[in-house]
Amino acid sequence: MTEKIKKQLNITNALFLVFLLIQLLPERYSKETYEINIIIFVVTIQVIYLIFSFITKKEKKLETIRDILGITYFIIIAWQLMTSKSGFLNELLFPAPGIVIQQFIHDLPRIIEGIQSSLLIILEGYVLAIITAIPLGLAAGWHIRFGNSFQYVSKFFGSIPPIVYIPYAIALLPAFRDASVFVIFAASFWPILGATMAGVFNIEKKILDSAKTLNVGRLSMLFHVMLPAALPEILMGCSQGLGISFILLTSAEMIGGKTGMGYYIKYYSDFGDFTRIVVGIIVLGIVVSVITLFFNKLQRYLLRWRQ
Amino acid sequence: MSKIELQNVTLNYAERNNVFTALEDISFSVKEGEFVSIIGASGCGKSSLLSLLEGLNFPTAGRVTINGDDIKGTGDDRAVVFQHYSLFPWMTTRANVVYGIKQVNKKLPKKDLGQIADDYLSKVGLSGFENKYPLQLSGGMQQRAAIARALAMSPSILLMDEPFGAVDAKNRKILQELLLELWENSEDKKTVIFVTHDIDEAILLSDRIIMMSANPGRIKKEISIPFPRPRNGSKLLESREYLNFRKEIITSFFNDISERIGGEEVAL
Ligand SMILES: Nc1ncnc2c1ncn2[C@@H]1O[C@H](COP(=O)(O)OP(=O)(O)O)[C@@H](O)[C@H]1O
Ligand SMILES: [Mg+2]
Repeated sequence: MTEKIKKQLNITNALFLVFLLIQLLPERYSKETYEINIIIFVVTIQVIYLIFSFITKKEKKLETIRDILGITYFIIIAWQLMTSKSGFLNELLFPAPGIVIQQFIHDLPRIIEGIQSSLLIILEGYVLAIITAIPLGLAAGWHIRFGNSFQYVSKFFGSIPPIVYIPYAIALLPAFRDASVFVIFAASFWPILGATMAGVFNIEKKILDSAKTLNVGRLSMLFHVMLPAALPEILMGCSQGLGISFILLTSAEMIGGKTGMGYYIKYYSDFGDFTRIVVGIIVLGIVVSVITLFFNKLQRYLLRWRQ
Repeated sequence: MSKIELQNVTLNYAERNNVFTALEDISFSVKEGEFVSIIGASGCGKSSLLSLLEGLNFPTAGRVTINGDDIKGTGDDRAVVFQHYSLFPWMTTRANVVYGIKQVNKKLPKKDLGQIADDYLSKVGLSGFENKYPLQLSGGMQQRAAIARALAMSPSILLMDEPFGAVDAKNRKILQELLLELWENSEDKKTVIFVTHDIDEAILLSDRIIMMSANPGRIKKEISIPFPRPRNGSKLLESREYLNFRKEIITSFFNDISERIGGEEVAL
Protein backbone atom coordinates (compact mmCIF):
# COMPACT_ATOMS: atom_id res chain seq x y z
CA MET A 1 0.00 0.00 0.00
CA THR A 2 2.75 2.49 0.91
CA GLU A 3 4.33 1.44 -2.36
CA LYS A 4 1.15 2.48 -4.19
CA ILE A 5 1.00 5.80 -2.34
CA LYS A 6 4.63 6.54 -3.14
CA LYS A 7 3.85 5.94 -6.78
CA GLN A 8 1.36 8.81 -6.60
CA LEU A 9 4.28 11.23 -6.43
CA ASN A 10 4.24 11.90 -10.13
CA ILE A 11 3.95 14.76 -12.57
CA THR A 12 0.35 13.98 -13.47
CA ASN A 13 -0.82 14.40 -9.90
CA ALA A 14 1.34 17.50 -9.52
CA LEU A 15 -0.32 18.98 -12.60
CA PHE A 16 -3.70 18.17 -11.11
CA LEU A 17 -2.81 20.23 -8.07
CA VAL A 18 -1.57 23.06 -10.28
CA PHE A 19 -4.90 22.93 -12.08
CA LEU A 20 -6.77 23.28 -8.78
CA LEU A 21 -4.52 26.19 -7.76
CA ILE A 22 -5.08 28.20 -10.91
CA GLN A 23 -8.82 28.00 -10.34
CA LEU A 24 -8.17 30.56 -7.59
CA LEU A 25 -7.06 33.10 -10.17
CA PRO A 26 -9.70 35.67 -11.07
CA GLU A 27 -11.36 35.52 -14.48
CA ARG A 28 -10.34 38.00 -17.16
CA TYR A 29 -12.86 37.19 -19.88
CA SER A 30 -16.00 39.34 -19.85
CA LYS A 31 -18.47 36.67 -20.96
CA GLU A 32 -19.58 33.79 -18.78
CA THR A 33 -16.91 31.05 -19.05
CA TYR A 34 -18.58 28.17 -17.17
CA GLU A 35 -15.33 27.28 -15.41
CA ILE A 36 -17.25 24.85 -13.21
CA ASN A 37 -17.54 22.51 -16.24
CA ILE A 38 -13.81 22.10 -16.67
CA ILE A 39 -13.35 21.67 -12.91
CA ILE A 40 -15.95 18.89 -12.80
CA PHE A 41 -14.38 17.30 -15.88
CA VAL A 42 -10.83 17.29 -14.54
CA VAL A 43 -11.79 16.23 -11.02
CA THR A 44 -13.93 13.38 -12.35
CA ILE A 45 -11.20 11.89 -14.52
CA GLN A 46 -8.68 12.40 -11.70
CA VAL A 47 -10.91 10.43 -9.30
CA ILE A 48 -11.38 7.65 -11.85
CA TYR A 49 -7.65 7.58 -12.46
CA LEU A 50 -6.86 7.38 -8.74
CA ILE A 51 -9.31 4.54 -8.17
CA PHE A 52 -7.94 2.70 -11.20
CA SER A 53 -4.34 3.20 -10.07
CA PHE A 54 -5.07 1.55 -6.72
CA ILE A 55 -6.89 -1.49 -8.08
CA THR A 56 -5.05 -2.25 -11.31
CA LYS A 57 -2.15 -4.66 -11.60
CA LYS A 58 -1.21 -3.64 -15.14
CA GLU A 59 1.70 -1.30 -14.48
CA LYS A 60 2.36 -0.54 -18.14
CA LYS A 61 -1.21 0.37 -18.94
CA LEU A 62 -1.40 2.59 -15.86
CA GLU A 63 1.77 4.35 -16.91
CA THR A 64 0.35 5.07 -20.38
CA ILE A 65 -2.90 6.38 -18.94
CA ARG A 66 -1.00 8.53 -16.46
CA ASP A 67 1.11 10.07 -19.19
CA ILE A 68 -1.91 10.80 -21.38
CA LEU A 69 -3.66 12.41 -18.41
CA GLY A 70 -0.57 14.47 -17.60
CA ILE A 71 -0.46 15.83 -21.12
CA THR A 72 -4.21 16.53 -21.04
CA TYR A 73 -3.89 18.46 -17.76
CA PHE A 74 -0.97 20.40 -19.13
CA ILE A 75 -2.96 21.41 -22.20
CA ILE A 76 -5.99 22.42 -20.12
CA ILE A 77 -3.84 24.46 -17.73
CA ALA A 78 -2.08 26.21 -20.60
CA TRP A 79 -5.42 26.76 -22.29
CA GLN A 80 -6.94 28.35 -19.19
CA LEU A 81 -3.87 30.47 -18.48
CA MET A 82 -3.85 31.82 -22.03
CA THR A 83 -7.58 32.51 -22.11
CA SER A 84 -9.93 33.17 -19.22
CA LYS A 85 -7.28 33.35 -16.50
CA SER A 86 -5.21 36.06 -18.20
CA GLY A 87 -7.21 37.54 -21.03
CA PHE A 88 -4.04 37.19 -23.10
CA LEU A 89 -5.87 35.81 -26.15
CA ASN A 90 -8.84 37.28 -27.96
CA GLU A 91 -12.00 36.25 -26.21
CA LEU A 92 -13.96 35.86 -29.46
CA LEU A 93 -11.40 33.69 -31.20
CA PHE A 94 -10.26 31.57 -28.27
CA PRO A 95 -13.04 30.33 -26.01
CA ALA A 96 -12.15 29.12 -22.53
CA PRO A 97 -12.38 25.36 -21.93
CA GLY A 98 -15.44 25.58 -19.68
CA ILE A 99 -17.55 27.26 -22.32
CA VAL A 100 -16.42 24.73 -24.92
CA ILE A 101 -17.72 21.95 -22.68
CA GLN A 102 -20.96 23.88 -22.16
CA GLN A 103 -21.41 24.17 -25.91
CA PHE A 104 -20.49 20.52 -26.42
CA ILE A 105 -23.18 19.38 -23.98
CA HIS A 106 -25.71 21.68 -25.59
CA ASP A 107 -24.95 20.39 -29.11
CA LEU A 108 -24.44 16.75 -28.11
CA PRO A 109 -27.43 15.28 -30.00
CA ARG A 110 -26.35 17.00 -33.21
CA ILE A 111 -22.74 16.00 -32.68
CA ILE A 112 -23.63 12.34 -32.19
CA GLU A 113 -25.78 12.44 -35.30
CA GLY A 114 -22.93 14.03 -37.24
CA ILE A 115 -20.35 11.50 -36.10
CA GLN A 116 -22.70 8.67 -36.86
CA SER A 117 -23.33 9.92 -40.37
CA SER A 118 -19.60 10.43 -41.02
CA LEU A 119 -18.64 7.04 -39.67
CA LEU A 120 -21.27 5.22 -41.70
CA ILE A 121 -20.07 6.89 -44.89
CA ILE A 122 -16.46 6.01 -44.10
CA LEU A 123 -17.39 2.47 -43.18
CA GLU A 124 -19.25 1.95 -46.43
CA GLY A 125 -16.53 3.34 -48.72
CA TYR A 126 -13.75 1.74 -46.72
CA VAL A 127 -15.28 -1.72 -46.52
CA LEU A 128 -16.04 -1.53 -50.23
CA ALA A 129 -12.37 -0.72 -50.87
CA ILE A 130 -11.16 -3.54 -48.62
CA ILE A 131 -13.33 -6.23 -50.14
CA THR A 132 -12.40 -5.26 -53.70
CA ALA A 133 -8.75 -4.23 -53.34
CA ILE A 134 -7.54 -7.20 -51.28
CA PRO A 135 -8.81 -10.02 -53.53
CA LEU A 136 -7.74 -8.08 -56.61
CA GLY A 137 -4.31 -7.43 -55.09
CA LEU A 138 -3.90 -11.08 -54.16
CA ALA A 139 -4.88 -12.23 -57.64
CA ALA A 140 -2.70 -9.61 -59.32
CA GLY A 141 0.22 -10.50 -57.09
CA TRP A 142 -0.27 -14.14 -57.91
CA HIS A 143 -0.11 -13.69 -61.67
CA ILE A 144 3.18 -11.95 -61.63
CA ARG A 145 3.12 -10.64 -65.18
CA PHE A 146 -0.35 -9.24 -64.74
CA GLY A 147 0.78 -7.91 -61.40
CA ASN A 148 3.81 -6.14 -62.79
CA SER A 149 1.92 -3.96 -65.24
CA PHE A 150 -0.79 -3.53 -62.66
CA GLN A 151 1.72 -2.25 -60.18
CA TYR A 152 2.44 0.77 -62.39
CA VAL A 153 -1.25 1.46 -62.85
CA SER A 154 -1.74 1.24 -59.12
CA LYS A 155 1.29 3.49 -58.50
CA PHE A 156 -0.09 6.06 -60.94
CA PHE A 157 -3.53 6.22 -59.38
CA GLY A 158 -2.12 5.93 -55.92
CA SER A 159 0.09 8.96 -56.50
CA ILE A 160 -2.85 11.23 -57.38
CA PRO A 161 -3.85 13.20 -54.28
CA PRO A 162 -7.32 11.80 -53.72
CA ILE A 163 -8.72 15.23 -52.89
CA VAL A 164 -8.97 15.87 -56.64
CA TYR A 165 -11.75 13.29 -56.84
CA ILE A 166 -14.05 15.46 -54.77
CA PRO A 167 -15.29 17.92 -57.42
CA TYR A 168 -15.81 15.09 -59.90
CA ALA A 169 -17.57 12.92 -57.40
CA ILE A 170 -19.89 15.73 -56.43
CA ALA A 171 -20.62 16.55 -60.08
CA LEU A 172 -21.26 12.96 -61.08
CA LEU A 173 -23.04 11.70 -58.00
CA PRO A 174 -25.49 14.42 -57.04
CA ALA A 175 -26.33 12.87 -53.70
CA PHE A 176 -23.68 14.03 -51.24
CA ARG A 177 -23.67 10.68 -49.47
CA ASP A 178 -22.98 8.70 -52.64
CA ALA A 179 -20.27 11.08 -53.72
CA SER A 180 -18.59 10.81 -50.32
CA VAL A 181 -18.73 7.03 -50.31
CA PHE A 182 -17.19 7.06 -53.75
CA VAL A 183 -14.39 9.43 -52.75
CA ILE A 184 -13.54 7.33 -49.70
CA PHE A 185 -13.62 4.19 -51.78
CA ALA A 186 -11.37 5.70 -54.45
CA ALA A 187 -8.97 7.07 -51.88
CA SER A 188 -8.51 3.91 -49.83
CA PHE A 189 -8.67 1.49 -52.75
CA TRP A 190 -5.23 2.32 -54.18
CA PRO A 191 -3.12 2.17 -51.03
CA ILE A 192 -4.78 -1.12 -50.06
CA LEU A 193 -4.34 -2.58 -53.54
CA GLY A 194 -0.71 -1.46 -53.72
CA ALA A 195 0.06 -2.81 -50.26
CA THR A 196 -1.59 -6.13 -51.04
CA MET A 197 0.39 -6.58 -54.25
CA ALA A 198 3.62 -5.56 -52.54
CA GLY A 199 2.78 -7.95 -49.71
CA VAL A 200 2.28 -10.81 -52.14
CA PHE A 201 5.46 -9.97 -54.03
CA ASN A 202 7.41 -10.05 -50.80
CA ILE A 203 6.17 -13.41 -49.55
CA GLU A 204 9.10 -15.66 -48.76
CA LYS A 205 9.43 -18.11 -51.67
CA LYS A 206 10.01 -20.98 -49.23
CA ILE A 207 6.57 -20.38 -47.70
CA LEU A 208 4.93 -20.71 -51.11
CA ASP A 209 7.03 -23.79 -51.88
CA SER A 210 5.96 -25.31 -48.59
CA ALA A 211 2.31 -24.63 -49.45
CA LYS A 212 2.77 -26.11 -52.91
CA THR A 213 4.27 -29.31 -51.53
CA LEU A 214 1.12 -29.63 -49.38
CA ASN A 215 -0.93 -29.61 -52.60
CA VAL A 216 -2.90 -26.63 -51.42
CA GLY A 217 -5.83 -25.75 -53.69
CA ARG A 218 -6.10 -22.40 -55.46
CA LEU A 219 -8.57 -20.73 -53.13
CA SER A 220 -6.85 -22.01 -50.01
CA MET A 221 -3.53 -20.79 -51.43
CA LEU A 222 -5.07 -17.35 -51.89
CA PHE A 223 -6.88 -17.00 -48.58
CA HIS A 224 -5.08 -19.33 -46.16
CA VAL A 225 -1.53 -18.76 -47.32
CA MET A 226 -1.05 -15.60 -49.35
CA LEU A 227 -3.52 -13.42 -47.47
CA PRO A 228 -2.07 -14.07 -44.01
CA ALA A 229 1.49 -13.99 -45.33
CA ALA A 230 0.88 -10.58 -46.90
CA LEU A 231 -1.30 -9.35 -44.05
CA PRO A 232 1.33 -7.21 -42.29
CA GLU A 233 1.73 -5.10 -45.41
CA ILE A 234 -1.98 -5.18 -46.25
CA LEU A 235 -2.79 -3.74 -42.85
CA MET A 236 -0.29 -0.94 -43.39
CA GLY A 237 -2.19 -0.08 -46.58
CA CYS A 238 -5.49 -0.27 -44.72
CA SER A 239 -4.22 2.05 -42.02
CA GLN A 240 -3.04 4.52 -44.66
CA GLY A 241 -6.44 4.30 -46.37
CA LEU A 242 -8.27 4.94 -43.13
CA GLY A 243 -6.22 8.04 -42.40
CA ILE A 244 -6.86 9.46 -45.86
CA SER A 245 -10.56 8.64 -45.53
CA PHE A 246 -10.98 10.87 -42.51
CA ILE A 247 -9.12 13.77 -44.06
CA LEU A 248 -11.14 13.45 -47.25
CA LEU A 249 -14.54 13.04 -45.71
CA THR A 250 -14.00 16.04 -43.46
CA SER A 251 -12.93 18.08 -46.47
CA ALA A 252 -15.91 16.84 -48.49
CA GLU A 253 -18.29 17.70 -45.67
CA MET A 254 -16.78 21.17 -45.50
CA ILE A 255 -17.11 21.65 -49.25
CA GLY A 256 -20.52 20.24 -50.03
CA GLY A 257 -22.01 18.43 -47.06
CA LYS A 258 -25.06 18.92 -44.96
CA THR A 259 -23.99 16.48 -42.27
CA GLY A 260 -20.95 15.42 -40.31
CA MET A 261 -18.35 17.18 -38.20
CA GLY A 262 -16.75 18.80 -41.24
CA TYR A 263 -20.06 20.44 -42.03
CA TYR A 264 -20.56 21.43 -38.39
CA ILE A 265 -17.20 23.21 -38.35
CA LYS A 266 -17.72 24.85 -41.73
CA TYR A 267 -21.28 25.97 -40.91
CA TYR A 268 -20.30 27.75 -37.70
CA SER A 269 -17.14 29.21 -39.14
CA ASP A 270 -19.41 31.13 -41.52
CA PHE A 271 -20.94 32.70 -38.40
CA GLY A 272 -17.59 33.20 -36.72
CA ASP A 273 -18.75 30.94 -33.89
CA PHE A 274 -15.33 29.93 -32.64
CA THR A 275 -16.62 28.10 -29.60
CA ARG A 276 -18.33 25.60 -31.87
CA ILE A 277 -15.32 25.43 -34.18
CA VAL A 278 -13.18 24.41 -31.22
CA VAL A 279 -15.84 21.88 -30.15
CA GLY A 280 -15.78 20.41 -33.67
CA ILE A 281 -12.01 20.22 -33.80
CA ILE A 282 -11.73 18.51 -30.43
CA VAL A 283 -14.53 16.05 -31.18
CA LEU A 284 -12.93 15.16 -34.53
CA GLY A 285 -9.56 14.66 -32.86
CA ILE A 286 -11.06 12.37 -30.24
CA VAL A 287 -13.08 10.36 -32.77
CA VAL A 288 -10.08 9.80 -35.05
CA SER A 289 -7.86 8.89 -32.08
CA VAL A 290 -10.33 6.35 -30.76
CA ILE A 291 -10.75 4.75 -34.19
CA THR A 292 -6.98 4.62 -34.69
CA LEU A 293 -6.67 2.99 -31.28
CA PHE A 294 -9.21 0.34 -32.21
CA PHE A 295 -7.52 -0.22 -35.53
CA ASN A 296 -4.16 -0.72 -33.83
CA LYS A 297 -5.69 -3.16 -31.37
CA LEU A 298 -7.25 -5.13 -34.22
CA GLN A 299 -3.96 -5.07 -36.09
CA ARG A 300 -2.07 -6.36 -33.07
CA TYR A 301 -4.64 -9.13 -32.67
CA LEU A 302 -4.49 -10.18 -36.31
CA LEU A 303 -0.70 -10.23 -36.27
CA ARG A 304 -0.38 -11.87 -32.85
CA TRP A 305 1.61 -14.70 -34.45
CA ARG A 306 4.55 -12.40 -35.09
CA GLN A 307 6.52 -13.11 -31.89
CA MET B 1 10.57 -52.03 -59.25
CA SER B 2 12.20 -49.23 -57.37
CA LYS B 3 10.12 -46.63 -55.62
CA ILE B 4 12.07 -43.66 -56.91
CA GLU B 5 14.24 -43.61 -59.95
CA LEU B 6 16.35 -40.94 -61.61
CA GLN B 7 17.67 -41.64 -65.09
CA ASN B 8 20.38 -39.42 -66.57
CA VAL B 9 18.88 -36.32 -65.01
CA THR B 10 20.25 -32.94 -65.97
CA LEU B 11 18.92 -29.68 -64.57
CA ASN B 12 19.80 -26.31 -66.07
CA TYR B 13 18.90 -22.96 -64.62
CA ALA B 14 18.43 -20.22 -67.18
CA GLU B 15 20.41 -17.20 -66.09
CA ARG B 16 20.46 -13.78 -67.67
CA ASN B 17 22.48 -14.68 -70.74
CA ASN B 18 23.80 -18.13 -70.10
CA VAL B 19 22.73 -21.47 -68.74
CA PHE B 20 23.88 -22.82 -65.40
CA THR B 21 24.04 -26.57 -65.10
CA ALA B 22 23.11 -27.43 -61.52
CA LEU B 23 22.78 -31.20 -62.00
CA GLU B 24 24.41 -33.33 -64.65
CA ASP B 25 23.72 -36.91 -65.60
CA ILE B 26 22.37 -38.05 -62.27
CA SER B 27 21.10 -41.60 -62.05
CA PHE B 28 20.15 -43.56 -58.98
CA SER B 29 17.23 -45.48 -57.63
CA VAL B 30 15.71 -45.88 -54.20
CA LYS B 31 13.83 -48.94 -53.00
CA GLU B 32 10.55 -48.78 -51.18
CA GLY B 33 11.15 -48.23 -47.47
CA GLU B 34 14.76 -47.26 -47.94
CA PHE B 35 16.39 -44.38 -46.08
CA VAL B 36 18.83 -42.61 -48.39
CA SER B 37 20.91 -39.57 -47.52
CA ILE B 38 22.27 -37.17 -50.06
CA ILE B 39 25.40 -35.52 -48.84
CA GLY B 40 27.63 -32.93 -50.38
CA ALA B 41 29.07 -29.46 -49.91
CA SER B 42 26.85 -26.42 -49.94
CA GLY B 43 25.92 -25.40 -53.48
CA CYS B 44 26.50 -28.82 -55.05
CA GLY B 45 22.85 -29.13 -56.05
CA LYS B 46 21.27 -31.13 -53.20
CA SER B 47 18.24 -28.86 -52.89
CA SER B 48 17.92 -28.70 -56.67
CA LEU B 49 17.85 -32.47 -56.77
CA LEU B 50 15.22 -32.62 -54.07
CA SER B 51 13.09 -29.99 -55.81
CA LEU B 52 12.71 -32.43 -58.71
CA LEU B 53 11.36 -35.03 -56.32
CA GLU B 54 9.14 -32.45 -54.61
CA GLY B 55 7.64 -31.69 -58.00
CA LEU B 56 8.51 -28.00 -57.68
CA ASN B 57 10.92 -28.19 -60.60
CA PHE B 58 11.42 -30.42 -63.63
CA PRO B 59 14.52 -31.93 -65.19
CA THR B 60 15.95 -30.38 -68.33
CA ALA B 61 16.82 -33.86 -69.54
CA GLY B 62 16.34 -37.34 -68.18
CA ARG B 63 13.51 -38.80 -66.13
CA VAL B 64 12.43 -38.71 -62.53
CA THR B 65 9.87 -41.36 -61.67
CA ILE B 66 7.92 -42.58 -58.67
CA ASN B 67 6.53 -46.11 -59.01
CA GLY B 68 7.53 -45.88 -62.66
CA ASP B 69 5.51 -42.73 -63.40
CA ASP B 70 7.10 -39.41 -64.28
CA ILE B 71 6.64 -36.78 -61.60
CA LYS B 72 4.13 -34.22 -62.92
CA GLY B 73 4.11 -31.92 -59.92
CA THR B 74 3.64 -31.97 -56.18
CA GLY B 75 1.61 -34.85 -54.82
CA ASP B 76 0.14 -36.19 -51.61
CA ASP B 77 2.33 -39.29 -51.85
CA ARG B 78 5.19 -37.04 -50.72
CA ALA B 79 5.66 -34.80 -47.70
CA VAL B 80 8.49 -32.32 -47.35
CA VAL B 81 10.40 -30.89 -44.41
CA PHE B 82 12.57 -27.88 -45.23
CA GLN B 83 15.26 -26.31 -43.11
CA HIS B 84 13.14 -23.18 -42.61
CA TYR B 85 9.59 -22.04 -43.32
CA SER B 86 8.01 -25.47 -43.53
CA LEU B 87 5.37 -24.23 -41.09
CA PHE B 88 3.09 -21.27 -41.61
CA PRO B 89 3.90 -18.74 -38.90
CA TRP B 90 0.29 -17.48 -38.70
CA MET B 91 -1.08 -20.89 -37.76
CA THR B 92 -0.63 -22.45 -34.35
CA THR B 93 1.30 -25.70 -34.19
CA ARG B 94 -1.92 -27.68 -34.13
CA ALA B 95 -3.48 -25.60 -36.92
CA ASN B 96 -0.40 -26.25 -39.06
CA VAL B 97 -0.74 -30.01 -38.65
CA VAL B 98 -4.51 -29.89 -39.13
CA TYR B 99 -4.09 -27.83 -42.29
CA GLY B 100 -1.64 -30.41 -43.64
CA ILE B 101 -3.98 -33.33 -42.92
CA LYS B 102 -6.88 -31.44 -44.51
CA GLN B 103 -5.01 -31.20 -47.81
CA VAL B 104 -4.76 -34.98 -47.93
CA ASN B 105 -8.12 -35.88 -46.47
CA LYS B 106 -10.74 -33.21 -47.11
CA LYS B 107 -13.62 -35.15 -45.57
CA LEU B 108 -12.38 -35.80 -42.05
CA PRO B 109 -14.57 -34.18 -39.39
CA LYS B 110 -13.04 -31.38 -37.36
CA LYS B 111 -12.82 -33.43 -34.19
CA ASP B 112 -10.83 -36.21 -35.85
CA LEU B 113 -8.50 -33.69 -37.45
CA GLY B 114 -7.64 -32.23 -34.06
CA GLN B 115 -7.26 -35.70 -32.58
CA ILE B 116 -4.85 -36.90 -35.26
CA ALA B 117 -2.87 -33.66 -35.04
CA ASP B 118 -2.53 -33.98 -31.26
CA ASP B 119 -1.45 -37.61 -31.59
CA TYR B 120 1.36 -36.75 -33.97
CA LEU B 121 2.38 -33.72 -31.95
CA SER B 122 2.69 -35.91 -28.87
CA LYS B 123 4.75 -38.41 -30.88
CA VAL B 124 7.32 -35.71 -31.57
CA GLY B 125 7.20 -34.50 -27.97
CA LEU B 126 5.22 -31.32 -28.51
CA SER B 127 2.30 -32.01 -26.18
CA GLY B 128 1.46 -28.77 -24.43
CA PHE B 129 2.70 -26.65 -27.32
CA GLU B 130 -0.29 -27.21 -29.61
CA ASN B 131 -1.55 -23.65 -29.29
CA LYS B 132 1.80 -21.93 -29.66
CA TYR B 133 2.72 -20.15 -32.85
CA PRO B 134 5.89 -21.34 -34.64
CA LEU B 135 7.77 -18.14 -33.83
CA GLN B 136 7.15 -18.80 -30.14
CA LEU B 137 8.98 -22.13 -30.45
CA SER B 138 12.71 -22.86 -30.63
CA GLY B 139 14.16 -23.89 -33.99
CA GLY B 140 14.30 -27.52 -32.86
CA MET B 141 10.65 -27.50 -31.80
CA GLN B 142 9.62 -25.95 -35.10
CA GLN B 143 11.30 -28.84 -36.91
CA ARG B 144 9.55 -31.33 -34.62
CA ALA B 145 6.24 -29.75 -35.58
CA ALA B 146 7.18 -29.86 -39.27
CA ILE B 147 7.99 -33.56 -38.93
CA ALA B 148 4.69 -34.14 -37.12
CA ARG B 149 2.82 -32.46 -39.96
CA ALA B 150 4.69 -34.44 -42.60
CA LEU B 151 3.99 -37.75 -40.86
CA ALA B 152 0.38 -36.86 -40.13
CA MET B 153 -0.20 -36.51 -43.86
CA SER B 154 0.80 -40.21 -44.12
CA PRO B 155 2.85 -39.93 -47.31
CA SER B 156 4.75 -42.91 -48.67
CA ILE B 157 7.79 -40.73 -49.35
CA LEU B 158 9.39 -38.27 -46.96
CA LEU B 159 11.68 -35.63 -48.45
CA MET B 160 13.87 -33.75 -46.00
CA ASP B 161 16.18 -30.90 -47.00
CA GLU B 162 18.72 -30.35 -44.22
CA PRO B 163 15.93 -30.43 -41.66
CA PHE B 164 18.31 -30.16 -38.70
CA GLY B 165 20.81 -27.86 -40.38
CA ALA B 166 19.81 -24.80 -38.37
CA VAL B 167 19.38 -26.56 -35.03
CA ASP B 168 22.10 -26.38 -32.37
CA ALA B 169 24.35 -29.42 -31.95
CA LYS B 170 22.74 -30.82 -28.81
CA ASN B 171 19.19 -30.59 -30.11
CA ARG B 172 20.28 -31.92 -33.48
CA LYS B 173 21.40 -35.15 -31.78
CA ILE B 174 18.04 -35.42 -30.03
CA LEU B 175 16.13 -34.81 -33.25
CA GLN B 176 18.21 -37.39 -35.11
CA GLU B 177 17.34 -39.98 -32.48
CA LEU B 178 13.69 -39.00 -32.66
CA LEU B 179 13.56 -39.34 -36.43
CA LEU B 180 15.42 -42.64 -36.26
CA GLU B 181 13.01 -44.00 -33.68
CA LEU B 182 9.89 -42.79 -35.52
CA TRP B 183 11.09 -44.25 -38.79
CA GLU B 184 12.44 -47.57 -37.48
CA ASN B 185 9.33 -48.23 -35.39
CA SER B 186 6.69 -47.37 -37.97
CA GLU B 187 4.83 -50.29 -39.52
CA ASP B 188 4.77 -49.01 -43.07
CA LYS B 189 8.35 -47.93 -43.58
CA LYS B 190 8.41 -44.68 -45.47
CA THR B 191 10.89 -44.11 -48.23
CA VAL B 192 13.06 -41.23 -47.06
CA ILE B 193 15.39 -38.98 -49.00
CA PHE B 194 17.35 -36.97 -46.49
CA VAL B 195 19.63 -34.14 -47.57
CA THR B 196 22.40 -33.18 -45.19
CA HIS B 197 25.99 -31.99 -45.06
CA ASP B 198 26.64 -33.71 -41.74
CA ILE B 199 28.41 -37.05 -42.25
CA ASP B 200 27.62 -38.46 -38.81
CA GLU B 201 23.96 -37.66 -39.31
CA ALA B 202 23.97 -39.38 -42.68
CA ILE B 203 25.66 -42.54 -41.37
CA LEU B 204 23.46 -42.77 -38.29
CA LEU B 205 20.18 -42.48 -40.18
CA SER B 206 20.69 -44.02 -43.59
CA ASP B 207 20.70 -47.33 -45.34
CA ARG B 208 22.68 -45.72 -48.09
CA ILE B 209 24.53 -42.46 -48.71
CA ILE B 210 24.77 -40.76 -52.07
CA MET B 211 27.69 -38.37 -52.19
CA MET B 212 27.59 -35.47 -54.59
CA SER B 213 30.30 -33.27 -56.01
CA ALA B 214 29.82 -29.75 -57.21
CA ASN B 215 30.02 -27.76 -60.45
CA PRO B 216 28.15 -29.32 -62.00
CA GLY B 217 26.33 -31.40 -59.42
CA ARG B 218 27.11 -35.04 -60.04
CA ILE B 219 27.00 -38.23 -58.07
CA LYS B 220 30.44 -38.98 -56.79
CA LYS B 221 29.86 -42.19 -54.90
CA GLU B 222 27.19 -44.38 -53.38
CA ILE B 223 27.92 -46.08 -50.08
CA SER B 224 25.79 -48.65 -48.26
CA ILE B 225 25.79 -48.35 -44.49
CA PRO B 226 26.49 -51.74 -42.97
CA PHE B 227 25.36 -51.07 -39.40
CA PRO B 228 22.39 -53.12 -38.25
CA ARG B 229 19.11 -51.61 -37.07
CA PRO B 230 17.68 -50.62 -34.75
CA ARG B 231 20.54 -48.24 -34.26
CA ASN B 232 21.50 -46.35 -31.17
CA GLY B 233 23.21 -43.06 -31.78
CA SER B 234 25.53 -42.86 -28.81
CA LYS B 235 26.50 -46.55 -28.94
CA LEU B 236 27.14 -46.48 -32.66
CA LEU B 237 29.30 -43.37 -32.48
CA GLU B 238 31.64 -45.04 -29.98
CA SER B 239 32.10 -48.30 -31.87
CA ARG B 240 35.39 -49.06 -33.60
CA GLU B 241 33.64 -50.13 -36.81
CA TYR B 242 31.95 -46.78 -36.98
CA LEU B 243 35.19 -44.85 -36.62
CA ASN B 244 36.86 -46.84 -39.36
CA PHE B 245 33.88 -46.51 -41.62
CA ARG B 246 33.67 -42.80 -41.05
CA LYS B 247 37.35 -42.36 -41.80
CA GLU B 248 36.89 -44.11 -45.11
CA ILE B 249 34.11 -41.77 -46.11
CA ILE B 250 35.97 -38.68 -45.01
CA THR B 251 38.98 -39.66 -47.08
CA SER B 252 36.84 -39.71 -50.17
CA PHE B 253 35.39 -36.39 -49.14
CA PHE B 254 38.76 -34.77 -48.73
CA ASN B 255 39.56 -35.78 -52.25
CA ASP B 256 36.49 -33.92 -53.36
CA ILE B 257 37.16 -30.86 -51.30
CA SER B 258 40.72 -30.54 -52.54
CA GLU B 259 39.33 -30.61 -56.06
CA ARG B 260 37.16 -27.63 -55.37
CA ILE B 261 38.25 -24.08 -54.91
CA GLY B 262 36.35 -21.95 -52.42
CA GLY B 263 32.87 -22.73 -51.25
CA GLU B 264 31.69 -23.75 -47.86
CA GLU B 265 33.29 -26.77 -46.20
CA VAL B 266 31.39 -29.86 -45.27
CA ALA B 267 31.01 -30.39 -41.54
CA LEU B 268 33.18 -33.37 -40.69
N1 LIG C 1 16.48 -20.95 -59.04
C1 LIG C 1 17.80 -20.93 -59.33
N2 LIG C 1 18.26 -20.21 -60.37
C2 LIG C 1 19.58 -20.22 -60.67
N3 LIG C 1 20.52 -20.88 -59.97
C3 LIG C 1 20.12 -21.61 -58.92
C4 LIG C 1 18.75 -21.68 -58.54
N4 LIG C 1 18.65 -22.48 -57.45
C5 LIG C 1 19.90 -22.90 -57.18
N5 LIG C 1 20.79 -22.38 -58.05
C6 LIG C 1 22.23 -22.65 -58.09
O1 LIG C 1 22.40 -24.02 -58.22
C7 LIG C 1 23.47 -24.47 -57.43
C8 LIG C 1 22.99 -25.57 -56.51
O2 LIG C 1 22.12 -25.00 -55.54
P1 LIG C 1 21.38 -25.88 -54.46
O3 LIG C 1 20.65 -26.95 -55.15
O4 LIG C 1 20.60 -24.99 -53.60
O5 LIG C 1 22.62 -26.49 -53.66
P2 LIG C 1 22.68 -27.12 -52.20
O6 LIG C 1 21.30 -27.40 -51.74
O7 LIG C 1 23.51 -28.34 -52.36
O8 LIG C 1 23.38 -26.13 -51.34
C9 LIG C 1 24.01 -23.27 -56.69
O9 LIG C 1 25.14 -22.81 -57.37
C10 LIG C 1 22.90 -22.28 -56.79
O10 LIG C 1 23.40 -20.97 -56.82
MG1 LIG D 1 20.29 -26.69 -49.99
